[in-house]
Amino acid sequence: MASVITATTTSGLTQSADNSGVLQLASGTGNLVTVPSVTGTAMVSGNMPAFSAYMDTNQTITSGTTVKVTLGTEVFDTANCFSSSRFTPNVAGYYQINGKIRASGTNCTASVSIYKNGSQNIIGTYLSATGATVFSVVSTVLYLNGTTDYVELYGYADATVGSPTLQFIAVGNTCEMNGCLVRGA
Amino acid sequence: MTLPEKIKSIYSELTNLDFSPIGTILIQNDSDGKGDYIKNWSHPDFPQPTDEELA
Repeated sequence: MASVITATTTSGLTQSADNSGVLQLASGTGNLVTVPSVTGTAMVSGNMPAFSAYMDTNQTITSGTTVKVTLGTEVFDTANCFSSSRFTPNVAGYYQINGKIRASGTNCTASVSIYKNGSQNIIGTYLSATGATVFSVVSTVLYLNGTTDYVELYGYADATVGSPTLQFIAVGNTCEMNGCLVRGA
Repeated sequence: MTLPEKIKSIYSELTNLDFSPIGTILIQNDSDGKGDYIKNWSHPDFPQPTDEELA
């Protein structure tokens, strides 16, 4: 059971109460929110931006260079905040951001980074391989102000044989970035 | 010759590690058609090459 406050389309706000200690908010169109039983600020999921995008075409890079990863295909973009391989959320808060690249080259070394507002914010795994392929991953939680702050994915790679054999590889969506709001400001 | 290769031709002591994310020289490309450029140079021993040296 619960105490319920309802915004009706006929009588305005109505309420029913019990002694369960549970509070629910109901809209006249049937949406129901149960206030979570937590200590501190309770957050209710609404239009919380989330996105996922991946690279759809191999990207040739210069050995020894850190390059913005072109993420040309969106899987989802709930608040239309992803554009031109850049995520600029419209809600202030703390965001979980994840990224991954796959680099291919002779004796390849690679590392992926998350950039905030054009600057390197966090560096992911830094790996080498005597074979042709290296995966690097990165994950972090960072604050974005909901207006101007943005994040992008950059990748570094070098190889004993330089470009054009050094590439970020798109096959299997192995270069991607995704993220979502985990807590409001 | 690429920009990292030009820099290495000036300072032969440099290795790939110097250009990596854990190094002191950041060569960047923003995938905007403007190409590779020196984003940051903080090497403790070698000064940043001039445009003339890199031309």
